[in-house]
Amino acid sequence: MRSVIGEIVGGTNEVTVLDMEASIEHLSRGTIRHVDVLLVVLEPYYRSMETAGRTVPLARDLGIGRIFGIANKLRTPQDEEAVRSYCANHDLELIAAIPFDESVVEADRTARAVIDYDANSAIVGELSKVADFLMPGKAKQGGM
Amino acid sequence: MKIAISGKGGSGKTTISATLTRILARRGIPVLAIDGDPNPNLSLALGLSDSANTAAMPRSVVERREDESGKTSMVLTDSIENIIERYGLKAADGVTVLTGCRVEHSGAG
Repeated sequence: MRSVIGEIVGGTNEVTVLDMEASIEHLSRGTIRHVDVLLVVLEPYYRSMETAGRTVPLARDLGIGRIFGIANKLRTPQDEEAVRSYCANHDLELIAAIPFDESVVEADRTARAVIDYDANSAIVGELSKVADFLMPGKAKQGGM
Repeated sequence: MKIAISGKGGSGKTTISATLTRILARRGIPVLAIDGDPNPNLSLALGLSDSANTAAMPRSVVERREDESGKTSMVLTDSIENIIERYGLKAADGVTVLTGCRVEHSGAG
């Protein structure tokens, strides 16, 4: 199936960020054949990491060249170590380690974007580094 | 650059998608954010709070076509520019957000 979203991603010239459906069964060639970079989010829990672990080879088979891990909701150094170790064992390069961030909870409670709630929050800081990494020519000038 | 973000439900992938989108947009990059789910969670995470304005694209943006060999495929019924213009919502920092629609899968491929 040539998916609607796949067609739109492939047809636009704009930088595109696609928030994919949770189920990896939806990781079809139709949806992601135009994707350059896949970011896989891993929480420091077995089931979350296992989901990521199943996604990576599937995405490689579909031809996505650049696949990176992003650790999220880390509460302890042990959490970070668990994700780092999982990624190392599954040939997945980890490009960000986001701590559990209360500002995400607070932003959600007040129906605001995290970046509007607190532009200096840990998650914004870590994802700014991801933006530097993915689009180095557009590195921050002052602000974000 | 086309970036996709995946992860288990509840992993924070929507918050990450929205935040990365806004960071890129603040660097002067026009970003199209697409919610792969029919539920408008991404537009909410981007800071759009008016749920009345976060309708998903209608199914009519695609239709099923059959080629000579009888193989069916889904094709867009309008140009991408028109679809984005019509169904895209403007969020802060110049972000445009599109919310996906559910189209039944027609087998593999």
